[in-house]
Amino acid sequence: MAAASHSPWRGWRDFLFAAGGLFFVAVFVGFVILLIIADAFYIDKKAVLTVLKAGFIRHALWMSVWTSFAATFIALLFAVPVGYSLSRYRFPGRVLVDAIIELPIVFPPLVAGLTLLVFFSQTSLGKWIQDDLGIEFVFQRKGIILCQFLVSASFAIRSAKTAFDEVDRRFEDVALTLGCTRWSAFRRVSLPLALNGIIAGGILTWARAFGLFGPLLIFVGSFRGRTEVLSTTIFLEQSVGNIEVALALAMLMIVVAVIALTTIHLVGGKTQVKL
Amino acid sequence: MIRTEQLSFSVGEFSLRDFSLEVAEGGYFVMLGPPGAGKTVFLECLCGLRRVEGGRVFIDGRDVTTLEPRARGIGYVPQDYALFPHLSVKRNIGFGLRARRDSGGEVSAKVERLTELLGIDRLLNRNVADLSGGEKQRTALARALVMEPKVLLLDEPVCALDEETRQSVCSLLHRIQRKFALTVIHVSHNLEEAFSVADRAAILNQGVLQQVGSLDALLRKPANEFVARFMRCENIFGDDAGLKLSESRQGRFKVMIRPEDVVVLRPDERQDGNDNILPVSLLRWRDYGGYVKAEFSGRLNIVAHLSHAAFARLDAKPGDQFIAVLHPERMHAFAV
Repeated sequence: MAAASHSPWRGWRDFLFAAGGLFFVAVFVGFVILLIIADAFYIDKKAVLTVLKAGFIRHALWMSVWTSFAATFIALLFAVPVGYSLSRYRFPGRVLVDAIIELPIVFPPLVAGLTLLVFFSQTSLGKWIQDDLGIEFVFQRKGIILCQFLVSASFAIRSAKTAFDEVDRRFEDVALTLGCTRWSAFRRVSLPLALNGIIAGGILTWARAFGLFGPLLIFVGSFRGRTEVLSTTIFLEQSVGNIEVALALAMLMIVVAVIALTTIHLVGGKTQVKL
Repeated sequence: MIRTEQLSFSVGEFSLRDFSLEVAEGGYFVMLGPPGAGKTVFLECLCGLRRVEGGRVFIDGRDVTTLEPRARGIGYVPQDYALFPHLSVKRNIGFGLRARRDSGGEVSAKVERLTELLGIDRLLNRNVADLSGGEKQRTALARALVMEPKVLLLDEPVCALDEETRQSVCSLLHRIQRKFALTVIHVSHNLEEAFSVADRAAILNQGVLQQVGSLDALLRKPANEFVARFMRCENIFGDDAGLKLSESRQGRFKVMIRPEDVVVLRPDERQDGNDNILPVSLLRWRDYGGYVKAEFSGRLNIVAHLSHAAFARLDAKPGDQFIAVLHPERMHAFAV
């Protein structure tokens, strides 16, 4: 009797309902795992050794990791104030601002690369930034981060806005009556309560930045040892027929992604507990 | 002391207009009104959470109209308490002290002293999500009181509680107000709640103060029909009803008598010629526990609240004939 009262399935209809949902979970996860297994079987020992030993691959891996984290960090620096402002304040043209912020989510990433290239090489403002200020982006490492930031920041901003939307404004109001300034109410109440959503946005942002490929080829190229990242290495290796090496690199990216996502989840979880 | 002078505020189609009110130092004032009357908006204007468009707010003799909420010296307990879900009970209560950078030892000592007084010291390490309604209420109250405010603003502080907890919290609020000599404004839509705590009260509707005074005045001398109906008076008649009043009245008016002031007699019982005597027949009745509500029809439809003894004495059945006696001195007229 006690066991029955604790069972989530109180009848065959409940069981079928749960089984229906779990079936789709199994199909999706199974499909992804099958793809990874298929890749793994295609790779030979030589390809693995190449990936592990080649200096240019270690460099590309390092470039991929640090540029994607830097882009995510900068995206979050923007996402928190932008998301908070969009969540809390009403101003003329807000709908248009919303649409512009979401634009990079919907346009093809390739367009971002082309647009950046045109801006910095064809417009006077872009040329002034590059030539007169000396902040060079085109075919430079800084360009990788800018490109990743442009394409992925919208995810961070959207997630931060949703997270702040879910924090009841009255929490801040009460904090204001308890001696807080606006900034301190934000820091002590709204930010901690929105943190999980912001971290989720950070994960999406990082995933998008880490796997970015098309716009990078256009805006910064793929110069071995300089602007090459793992995703562009995979493209270059498969374009010269090294399918096994390309797949071994893909496996490497998967491993790095799994480690990074797990770490972010763990750190995010700990952060929430500390607060 | 809290005083507002011609306060005005509007949002969308709602507005508070020329809102002037004074609550004496150490008074327990209840602001009554139906949902949407503007009670919460009024409290938020006092707190400084909404920028008023005109008028002034004085707290403790000081003009605080343009001051930030934190500089007003108020304690605020919002509806549903708004306890910070990411903090424990202890950290919730100590939040304001930490925000003003009191030392850790000082924060702990003040929090422990207050929670002991409110009987929630055993909850200090609990998560706020695990608290009952009454415990949440006490925690929110402690969070406001620990800042030692002179004025406490309570927005529907007991509306989410069951009847028993509501009564115990109301008596706690009254005790706390006396102990800390607080000036309290307590917003509510519930009459019983007001009767259990208030020294004085006001009735608000659609952003306009309808009447301010003692609960007895609101009950027996309502300023208009809205106040009379809000105070649950159902016997309201036009000036064409031909009822005798204790004093003559000019112009258009309405007249009311409270259901508990209606006397119901059997037709053969003795009546005073100075009273309004209305032959009526019983339509229906219902036992409300403390009293019987009896509805009568006749030239005027009358509702009477009778004690169980009085109703039993009548031995009434629907359709039976009775005499409803309305004493002129118990009746009140107001202009329309």
